[in-house]
Amino acid sequence: MAEPVELFCWGGGWDLPSVHTDSLVVLAYVKFSGAKLAVKSIDWTWRTITASVPQLHYEGTTVTEPTQILNFLRKQRFNADFELTAKQGADTMAYIALLEEKLRPTLLHTFWVDAENYANLTRPWFTSHSPFPLNFFVPGRQASLALSRILLTKAESPLLNITEVEGKIYSEAKECLNLLSHRLGNFHFFFGDTPTSLDAFVFGHIAPLFKAPLPSGQLQKHLNQLDNLCQFCNAILKNYFTDPPAEKRMDCSPTANHDPVDANLQKLTQLVNKESNLIEKMDDNLRSSPQHRPHRHETKPLALAGERISTPP
Amino acid sequence: MSLAAEAFVSQIAAAEPWPENATLYQPLKEDQILLSDSASSLAVQTFLRMCGLPVLVSCRANAEYMSPSGKVPFIHVGNQVVSELGPIVQFTKAKGHSLSDGLDDVQRAEMKAYMELVNNMLLTAELYIQWCDDHTATEISRPRYSSPYSWPLNHILAYQKQWEVRRKMNAIGWSGKSLEQVYEDVSQCCQALSQRLGTQPYFFSKQPTELDALVFGHLFTILTTQLTNDELAEKVKSYTNLLSFCHRIEQTYFKEHERESQSGSSRHSKGSLP
Repeated sequence: MAEPVELFCWGGGWDLPSVHTDSLVVLAYVKFSGAKLAVKSIDWTWRTITASVPQLHYEGTTVTEPTQILNFLRKQRFNADFELTAKQGADTMAYIALLEEKLRPTLLHTFWVDAENYANLTRPWFTSHSPFPLNFFVPGRQASLALSRILLTKAESPLLNITEVEGKIYSEAKECLNLLSHRLGNFHFFFGDTPTSLDAFVFGHIAPLFKAPLPSGQLQKHLNQLDNLCQFCNAILKNYFTDPPAEKRMDCSPTANHDPVDANLQKLTQLVNKESNLIEKMDDNLRSSPQHRPHRHETKPLALAGERISTPP
Repeated sequence: MSLAAEAFVSQIAAAEPWPENATLYQPLKEDQILLSDSASSLAVQTFLRMCGLPVLVSCRANAEYMSPSGKVPFIHVGNQVVSELGPIVQFTKAKGHSLSDGLDDVQRAEMKAYMELVNNMLLTAELYIQWCDDHTATEISRPRYSSPYSWPLNHILAYQKQWEVRRKMNAIGWSGKSLEQVYEDVSQCCQALSQRLGTQPYFFSKQPTELDALVFGHLFTILTTQLTNDELAEKVKSYTNLLSFCHRIEQTYFKEHERESQSGSSRHSKGSLP
């Protein structure tokens, strides 16, 4: 390619390279496939309201939407799905559809419609990352788009009321997370040991939910109980999104070329993570278990009382 | 419905066996029903046949308004009304009939994912072609949808439905797509289904599941419905294992029904598979 290819995304925050799901999907795929792009953040520019993010600019043409961008990158021979069989390719399409239908409405709700999260986390972040005078309009527009999407796709037609839909979409999202967890099992990635486009999509959807400091996050709590998905996120962040000088021991993080990851070190890190997760979980269980501490009933965490859905299998 | 209400309904459902007079309601077959509704209705009928549960099909002009969620088809069983394939599958499961019990967790995840793929791509494409493509909407969808009603109600209802569907397409980002892109998406979806099916008789090898019912419902309807052009049907026909899959299910579950209803096949539907 003669000219550099430019990718416009929302900027980073909350320990992530980008806070926007679609941008994250494309960024992850770019890392997995080793494509060389110039990533430009649209924060504090007029593109926050004019552009549909993420956007790829190449020799005058513009490509939007994650699936189109991934297709474009594949045509330029940056293909992370090279080793997949036909059936695995079909599975990829199916799981991406599952994410779009079941998980995305709930993610939109969690970040844009839930009043506490929107007022305390999402709106301040987007307002602070938009230029004046757009900072008055950008979050509100996104929020109304999110609300209309949820209502039009999920609400039953005479009852266009968000509260009735909430229970349904949250339970569907939890089921979706459980299904993803079952499918991932004990593997590093969804199709063996190398990440593919499905891993990029799952990462893009789950990472903001995992990392954002949400004030009211019942879905986040559910995600934290699914250890393998949490480790999946952490592994991708560590291996593909940390800069080499920042990590002294992890000199194996590949940047734009396919350096082989030090498998032993990765396994050790994951084991340590798993251990600490298990210990935390045990500690939580012990603290909240009623039969062991009957006289400390009044200090039982409120979160447990509010849980309608039991822990996943 | 809230979760507590759903659990309560399941409990009530589990109490009674499947009655003989269960009825499935859909819009009028000859004049009114459209491609997407016909596909959903056929999927539900196929699912119930696969479970071996008898159901009478009743065609009503106001089926959409009778339905609790506004979507057809819906079934009336005992004193409960359930609409759409997902809740109907859960309802029959509560009554003790299930096709997917033999699947393990990973397979169940795959099945749900593929069902979402069909809903996301095929159903949305059908809705797009019916209501967002001006030619089809003017020639077929609006006249058929409003045929039971007199002027001016027919115009009002048809345009209202079209506006609703276009709003939905806008919300999910399909309004920017051209017709060719939609056909391309359908083709990719069929390719994925074809690759998943491979040479097996059903998607999960031995036994049919709700995924087979859903795929059959959509593909059979696409193949046997006459639209303004045949491009959609051609896209499906290019995958031979999907064609033989449809033939097989038609032969297994609908043979007697087809023989009875041959005389009643409408101008809109071409009857059995070519």
